[in-house]
Amino acid sequence: MGKEIFYFLIFPGLLFSAVIGGFLSWVDRKITARVQFRKGPPLLQPLYDFLKLLLKETIIPVRGSVFTFLVSPVLALFGATISAVFILLPLFHIETGFAGDLIVVIYLLNIPSLTYIIGAAASGNPLASVGASREMKMILSYEVPLLLVIVSVIIKAGMTISLTEIIAAQAAGGAFIGSISGVIAFLVAIFCIQAKLALVPFDIPEAEGEICDGVAIEYSGSSLALIKLTKYIMLFIVPSFVVLLLLGGFSFKGIDILWSVLKLLVIILLLTLIRNTNPRVKIDQAMKFFWIWMNLLAVIAVVLSILGL
Amino acid sequence: MLNMRLLLVVPFAAGIFLFLLPESLRVFKGIITLISAAITFYLSYAVFLLPQQQVELTCYLSASLDKYLLLNIDFLSKLLIIFLGFFGFIFSLYSLSYVSKTKKLTNYYSYYLITLGAAFGAVLVDHFFPFLFFWGILGITLYKLVKAYDEDSSSVAKKSLIMMVASDAILILGVALLWKSTGSLQISGLAIAPLGILGTLTFIALIIPALTKAGAFPFHTWIPGFAEKAPASSSAFLIASLDKLLGIYLLARICINIFILQDWMKFVLLLVGCLTIIIAVMMALIQHNYKKLLGYHAVSQVGYMVAGIGLGTPVGIAGGLFHMVNNALYKSGLFLTAGSVEKRTGEEELENLGGLSRVMPLTFFAALVFALSISGIPPFNGFASKWMIYQGMIDFGRGSGIASSLWIVWLIMAVFGSALTLASFVKFTAGIYFGRRSGKYDKIKEVSILMWLPQLLISLLCILFGVFAATRVVPFLLEPIGGKINYTGVWQSSNVSLLIIVSIIIGFVIYLLGNIRKMRRSDSFIGGEKIQEELGYPSLEFYKTISSFKLLAFFYKKAEKKCFDIYDLSKKLVLWCNGIFSKAHSGVLPTYVIWLVAGMLILLLIIL
Repeated sequence: MGKEIFYFLIFPGLLFSAVIGGFLSWVDRKITARVQFRKGPPLLQPLYDFLKLLLKETIIPVRGSVFTFLVSPVLALFGATISAVFILLPLFHIETGFAGDLIVVIYLLNIPSLTYIIGAAASGNPLASVGASREMKMILSYEVPLLLVIVSVIIKAGMTISLTEIIAAQAAGGAFIGSISGVIAFLVAIFCIQAKLALVPFDIPEAEGEICDGVAIEYSGSSLALIKLTKYIMLFIVPSFVVLLLLGGFSFKGIDILWSVLKLLVIILLLTLIRNTNPRVKIDQAMKFFWIWMNLLAVIAVVLSILGL
Repeated sequence: MLNMRLLLVVPFAAGIFLFLLPESLRVFKGIITLISAAITFYLSYAVFLLPQQQVELTCYLSASLDKYLLLNIDFLSKLLIIFLGFFGFIFSLYSLSYVSKTKKLTNYYSYYLITLGAAFGAVLVDHFFPFLFFWGILGITLYKLVKAYDEDSSSVAKKSLIMMVASDAILILGVALLWKSTGSLQISGLAIAPLGILGTLTFIALIIPALTKAGAFPFHTWIPGFAEKAPASSSAFLIASLDKLLGIYLLARICINIFILQDWMKFVLLLVGCLTIIIAVMMALIQHNYKKLLGYHAVSQVGYMVAGIGLGTPVGIAGGLFHMVNNALYKSGLFLTAGSVEKRTGEEELENLGGLSRVMPLTFFAALVFALSISGIPPFNGFASKWMIYQGMIDFGRGSGIASSLWIVWLIMAVFGSALTLASFVKFTAGIYFGRRSGKYDKIKEVSILMWLPQLLISLLCILFGVFAATRVVPFLLEPIGGKINYTGVWQSSNVSLLIIVSIIIGFVIYLLGNIRKMRRSDSFIGGEKIQEELGYPSLEFYKTISSFKLLAFFYKKAEKKCFDIYDLSKKLVLWCNGIFSKAHSGVLPTYVIWLVAGMLILLLIIL
């Protein structure tokens, strides 16, 4: 059991993925700043943010449900960390017997969103409630296209739901993105993770200018720090998940290290550029976008991968 | 031997005895029910421990009846018996406090016990004649356990009865067809591959009653109304647990013992299952009445069981049956919590509730566990069984045949159905327990121990069944039924659950490291405006966006007019036929005379 706790807390779980995630969020902010002709924050800014929040006063809504309100961010952090462990262990080629399959990972990746919803509802704030309902509707929107992408990966990998076998299949026959269906699936996946990470144009559940951070409106101090930490980790592992599914995973032999890092950074760059060049859409527009267009593309990807293209 | 006999006799005898007592002794009746339910629970445990065997009971009336009283104790019936015993006991505990003050229910406890006895009978017997007898009793007691006090509730009770009786008639037809094609009415050990039209008809006639009892599309329509109008304890006892267990039991017997599943049968079952999941949950999403919302979910979850059993593989069958058990646990738990909320507030609409989590903390905790379980959130039990069904579907995709090649459709519908379930339970929990509490509910107290104890016990089982799913529960209860399971996926529920505890500890350490001790309580911030009581954002508005999409809006409108209700459709057909026949009854004497003469002429022509 000690082994599992080590994986969970130190590497590749909480500590490791929080550090890398913090770094990636700095990359994201730096690129954003450059796009807007600003200088951008220093490298350690994510850490400063986290520590500052930890020391701030925590305000708890007077009519809300305190226990649920405070436990939700903890469980969000749990969801992000446990999916980090299950995604990163196969990515780093560590065979330990502690693993989760594709279905488990998809469900675990939904836990942070769900706990935001529960926490927001528990706060009793009307704006948080609006945010929660939007968060739920976003889950309903991107769930099916993301699932179709995963189905096409399952088909390409020869009907397996083991993450290790998916990586092995790509090591043997080339990354899945090297086919027409792979490219389409990657495109769909990028939009889905944009929504999953609640980045513009799909930051509808948070929408600072409109509902004042929506689901997180009532959080402050340590509890907000936990949410920030969860967001850092999600920014690392959700793109890594796409790298695992479609880009062939990581490799650590010689020059391949550079490639592995680049794969991740390219996805972050794509996400950042999309978020800096688009305005926020309305919730019904987002739902139509995913339900009609993304599903159509994803179905095409699945059909092409059945045909072997 | 004695245990089995007692298992059948005790509930019936106690139930009939309770008819003799007057209604004013309701508490006393409840206590007798509790005692007999406890005895049956013990007996069911004793039967559960028996080895697999077939027992012939002696009938004292006539020796020629003995062959019908053959009891079959195999792993499937043992699984059913232990859970029937458990639910029978736990709901009698809950009823003691819940039913005691409701004046309108007469002979509730008698029908309760008779239902329990008939359910044991239906599960134990190995011959279709006594099975039909017990199955018929269940239909009648179901009707008597709805409280018919006004026009709506009587029509709901009538609808349930008519649908049950119609499905019983179809079952009898199916049994007759089975007799014609095999010459045997023993349930176990048939294993026939249905051929031709006769085989097809037999299969369809046998699954329709199973699907009606369990409540799968399109025979589900009696359930939502029943859930809305019946007392919560009846709903928990019947539509959440007992009918699911029995309907899926019959389906499992049909699919495992009676028939060897062919490809088209798998296709039919998967189609019915997946359509049930999606259609019912879409209806649940727009409900205002929380008991009706739960009723639609009682339908939707059946889809997973039907689909799991329809896969026909060991992992699918085990997943389907495991989901049956899990669903019976959390769904009945949800009805119990709904009953508690209803008892304390007297309110059945979601928009009038809110913020009860602090005044009813135990009920809230239990309801949250059930809601997370039904939505399939790891590590609760609902996830464990859904996970088995999903990987069964992916595994199934390796095979050939039309049902296998459509595995993507089944998988997407099942997983999306699960997301929609989550969505409607967000609405359910947010509507009742979260949000701002209106002033009139400030003085509400938690329900009595007789009511919260069953809820907490069931929620504990939900957690345990999830945490120890693959290591203990499935190998012990389910693998003997469908065969050894080869998992293609990995889900280490016990380890992950332990890590949840670790992370909660870490979370509190982080809170303590931070400045949490100096926390301040303040009213909600809504952009600087002063908050007003009426400013709540009702959870009902959550899914307006979805129901306003053009295509969905069309279906919702039609569904509200009951255009897809098989009961209303057949009612229309019957009334239309009546209309035609009633034209003949014009009341004009010469017309009747013409009918008479014409009829006589026709008869003469036939005879000559």
